[in-house]
Order: sequence, then structure tokens, then C-alpha cells
Amino acid sequence: MRLDRAEIMDRLGVGVIVALAIFALALLLLPAVIVVVMSFDTRGYISFPPAGFTLDWYRKVFEQPVLTTAMWTSIKVGLYVTAICILLGVPTALACVRGDFRGATALSVFVLVPHMVPGIVLGVAVLFSGALLGIGPSIWLQSIALSCYVMAVMVRTVMARLQKLDPLLEQASANLGASRWQTFRTITFPLLLPAIMAGAVFTFIEGFDNLSVTIFTHGYRDRPLPIELLAIVQNTNSPLVAAVSSVQILLAMLALAAISLTIGLDRVNE
Amino acid sequence: MSEAGVLSSTTGAAQAAPVVAICKAVKRFGGLTVLDDCSLTAQEGEILTLLGPSGCGKTTLLRCIAGFLTPDSGEILIDGRDTIPVPVNRRSVGVVFQSYALFPHLSVAKNVAYGLRMRATPAAEIATRVKAALATVSLTGFEERYPSQLSGGQQQRVAIARVLVLEPRVLLLDEPFNALDAKLRGTMQMEMRHLIKRLGITAVFVTHDQEEALTMSDRIAVMRAGRIEQLGTPEEIFDRPQSAYVADFVGASNFWEGVAHAGRVALPDGQSVATALDGPVRVMLRPHNLVLRAVGGEAAAWDGTIRFRRHIGALMEYEIEVAGGRMLRAVALRDDTIAALAGGDRVSLGVRDAAACVAFPPA
Ligand SMILES: Nc1ncnc2c1ncn2[C@@H]1O[C@H](COP(=O)(O)OP(=O)(O)OP(=O)(O)O)[C@@H](O)[C@H]1O
Ligand SMILES: [Mg+2]
Repeated sequence: MRLDRAEIMDRLGVGVIVALAIFALALLLLPAVIVVVMSFDTRGYISFPPAGFTLDWYRKVFEQPVLTTAMWTSIKVGLYVTAICILLGVPTALACVRGDFRGATALSVFVLVPHMVPGIVLGVAVLFSGALLGIGPSIWLQSIALSCYVMAVMVRTVMARLQKLDPLLEQASANLGASRWQTFRTITFPLLLPAIMAGAVFTFIEGFDNLSVTIFTHGYRDRPLPIELLAIVQNTNSPLVAAVSSVQILLAMLALAAISLTIGLDRVNE
Repeated sequence: MSEAGVLSSTTGAAQAAPVVAICKAVKRFGGLTVLDDCSLTAQEGEILTLLGPSGCGKTTLLRCIAGFLTPDSGEILIDGRDTIPVPVNRRSVGVVFQSYALFPHLSVAKNVAYGLRMRATPAAEIATRVKAALATVSLTGFEERYPSQLSGGQQQRVAIARVLVLEPRVLLLDEPFNALDAKLRGTMQMEMRHLIKRLGITAVFVTHDQEEALTMSDRIAVMRAGRIEQLGTPEEIFDRPQSAYVADFVGASNFWEGVAHAGRVALPDGQSVATALDGPVRVMLRPHNLVLRAVGGEAAAWDGTIRFRRHIGALMEYEIEVAGGRMLRAVALRDDTIAALAGGDRVSLGVRDAAACVAFPPA
């Protein structure tokens, strides 16, 4: 069979794209896979490939109160950040899309600013402003700082959904006798829920494992997981860190699976 | 059955208090005047159609009645009471949207129950009324489906049931059949008319399709650029249009240019049409009001050449070129003599009923 020039180019193009996609996938997955593999190593230091198989490191993680406390602290930060972002981000998104005021567009761009600033800069800025207001480094300051940092994700995700939402649905609801609040509670909010959940996954993960903003704002008694991990990595070379990271990877995957399942189920009804 | 009674009551009882009255409504968007001194009334139990080309302000008028828009000036009365201060959710006006606007996350039963739930109706009453409403639109058994699992026609019936279950004073329908295919459209038009008549609801119906307007309506308001051009029964609109615009928009028309003298316009076939005008006029000749006859060698009073012919089911439509290169359209039943006529044939023309012709001022 004779191939002409265009056909050869087409096949080549597809080949290149597939190769790049595989490369990208490897780049995304390999670090996680290596961390998980190393967490089962029998030796007391991190190296590859592992020499044996043990679950000792996992036992040690859950036997060290420092680590479990830190993990719990980070989960709390993740939840606080998510709660703040939902509470403030959803109304902001509504104002940006439905708002009939000058500067609605400016506002929607403005929420991006904290996310554009390097995390360290934002952390320092929040630390200083907190000091002015009398709020020292604490789980609260950390949660507020991280909320500033990731608010944009929630606002943008909800805005995208709102823009696709048929405004006639809300008019129909009003026509059927619903007040504005009833319309929001029974129509707008349920239809925004998938977007809010998707935003929540990102805000939770950022709250759980952000380091740059956290370094300057976390409380000294409530040390979150990223700070503890940094300390362990700086002082030792034990696969303990790999075990903690593996637990984190597992948690993240569970969260994503749960979300995609609920959003997926919601799509069925649309 | 009761249709004849309704018709005579709507034409005869003009003095009865109207259910909907719009008085000199004006609505502007920026510099654009979309409703311009628009006035009309809808009587108890009648289907009033707003008919007009795209962009003439039909939806805007409907949105003003529903309360989604507030007119810049003028009044909208329902049962004699001013509606302008009444918020959208307190008006007894049900809207069936063109796109249906069903709530995608609620089942059919919950969509229909929605308005009752917002009014804190007892659950038992909701159940019976939803059941009855779904039975009315023949959707019993579809309660647990979601809108995405319904056909276009079924979705539309849910939208109607959702509104009817609230027993609104006025039903507003904005081009409800647009999304349906031609056949279903015809069926739904008849079903909808029967349903509205059976329930005795006053309905304002919007369309830009003149055939649909003639089928569905008790009265038609022909709109032009934000004004009501003519308001009347389908027969009045079709047979006695008050302007060339209405004559042209409702039922394709030919316009023949003539001259009026002493209250009459002479047609080329020897007949004449009464008119109050004097001087140059345009006379409306409906395509079905033209009679064609084959001509041989003999001279005809009025003749032309068939340029084009087209089958429309039992009818045949002809485009005929007459003196001066003007084209006239004629429609006739496809009987033997007509079927023999083909493109290029010369025909003589005549007017079947000169009394059905109407003269208008020149363009
Ligand atoms: N919110 C708005 N802002 C500005 N202009 C508008 C607005 N709504 C409608 N218009 C304009 O008003 C005019 C009438 O619109 P309307 O929707 O009432 O037309 P319509 O008769 O329903 O037409 P169609 O048959 O296409 O639905 C149009 O020129 C439209 O562009
Ligand atoms: Mg419209």
C-alpha cells in the first residue's frame, strides 16, 4: 500500500501526540509511584530500588503522636479553608455573574490576584496584617491566609457553572411562586453543587498540604503536616516521610473518587 | 361543541370586564423602543394570540405581563387591578417558556409539585393535584422520570402541567411549539387548544407563525414594531385586513396596483372592488381567489404566462407572469383542467369573489 505525504504526516502526528501523552502521564504518576514503593522499604533510609517489603513505616506513622496530630491539624485547616471559600466564594461568584453593578467584571478578575502572588509573599503579607490586627500565627491565621490564596479556584469554578446555568430556570421558579431565597435554595444551589464540590476538593487539598503560605502563618502549637514533614526530611533520611506521603496520596485519591462519583451521578439527572 | 359559544361570547361581549388589559404600554431598551403605546385586552376564557415578525416585541410584552419586566409607562391590569406593584411570584400568571425551562435536577412529579410546595400546600393535597395535572396532560406513569429522559413533546406537557396545577388566572405561552417537529406541532396545537378550552383558562399565546395563529386563536393581535396593528378574530384578520401589512403577513397575498374612481377600483377582468380611497391603490388578491383558465388563440381580458408550478398536496400553486413583468401567485384544487396546465402555458386570469378583495393606499 502506498502512503502519500499527507497521510504519512498524519500518522506521524498522531504518533508524536500519543508519545507526548504517555510521557506526560509518566511524569505525573512516576513520583507518586516511587514514593509509594519506597514506603515499603526495609532499610532505614530512602533509596531506590527497595531491598524488601515491610509495613513498619506505616505502623510508626500512626504510633507517633506528632505525626497523627499534625495530620489532624492539616485536615482541620483543609476543612476550615473549604468552609470559608464556600461561604465567601459562592456569593462572590453570584455577584460577579448576576450582579448588575459597575465593577462586577473587575471583581471577578480581582479575586485572582492573591493566587497570582507567590505563596511566600502572601504568607508574609498575611503574617504582618495579622500582627496589626492582633492575630498571631495560628491555625486561624493559616486558614485565613490559605483561603485568600485559593478563593479564586472556588469563585472561578462556580462562576463557570453559573454562566452556563439557564437564567430562565430562576424566572420559571419565580413565576411558580418561589421567593428569591426559595429559588436559591431549591434551584440555583442544587444546580451549583457539582461546581462547589469540585472547588471544595481543590481548596481542601491546598489547605491540607500547602507549604509556602503555611510556613509563615501556622501556629507553633498546631503544627500542620507539611511543616512536620519538612522537619523530618531536613533532619533524617527515613522512609517515614514516604509512608506519610503515601497516606496523603491515598486520601486525595479517595476524595477525588468520591467527588467524581457524586458529580457523575448528578450529571445523569441533567 | 362549546367552541362556537366561546367564539360568539368573545366577539359579542366586548363590554364584559377583560381579564387582561394592557393600556398604552411603553418599553425601551436604551434608545430602542420595543413596545410603543401598546394596548390590548383578553376576555375571560379566550385564547388571544400575539402574532408578528421576529423582533416586533411579542416576548417583551409577555414578559411585562408575567412581571419579569416593568414597562416604562402604561398599565397592565389583571381583573381590573394594576399588576405593576405586584412581584413576579405573587402574580396569578403561569408562563410556559419556549425552552420549557424544566428543572433538570427534579423528577417530573417534583417539577409539577414545585409551585404547590413553594406555597406550603399540605403533602396529601400536593399528591392528588399533581396526579390530576399529570393525568390532564396524559403523562400518568412518568412521575419518576427526569426531564432529560423525556421527548420534546413530553417535556412541553410537563411544563404545561407544572403551570396548570396552580390554576393560574392567565396562561402565557411563548412560542411553545417551536422546538417540535412539524407533525407533532400540528397535534400539540390542537391538543393545547382543546385543553385550554376545557379548563376555561384565559391564555395569551405568542407565535410568529400565521398558520399556527389562525389554528389556535379566538382572537389575533397582529403586532408591528411594538404596536398592535390589528386585533380581531382569525376570520376578520384574514378576510378584512385593515392594512397591507396585515394582508401580507397573514396569508400570502398578491398586490395588484390600480386606480380608484368614485368609490370603486376596476379589476382587469371587468369586475370592481368597493373602496373609500381615491387615486392610486393596491388591491389584495388572495392566491386562492384567482381563477385560472387555459387560453387558446382568443384574446382574454387579463392573461399571463405560467412561470412555475408547485404541488402542495391536494393543491397546485402557480407563479404567473402578467403584463409589466409582475408575478402573481394562484392556488387551486388539482382538478383535471388545472392539472393540464404546465410551465410556459398562457392562461386567462379572473377573480373568484371581488367582494373578498381589499384596497389599500399605495406603498
Ligand atoms: N433585555 C434586552 N435588552 C435590549 N434589547 C432587548 C432586550 N430584550 C429584547 N430586546 C430587543 O427588543 C426587540 C424585541 O424583542 P422581543 O424578544 O420582544 O421580540 P419577539 O417579537 O419576541 O421576537 P422573536 O419572534 O424573535 O422571539 C428586539 O429588537 C430585541 O433585540
Ligand atoms: Mg420572542
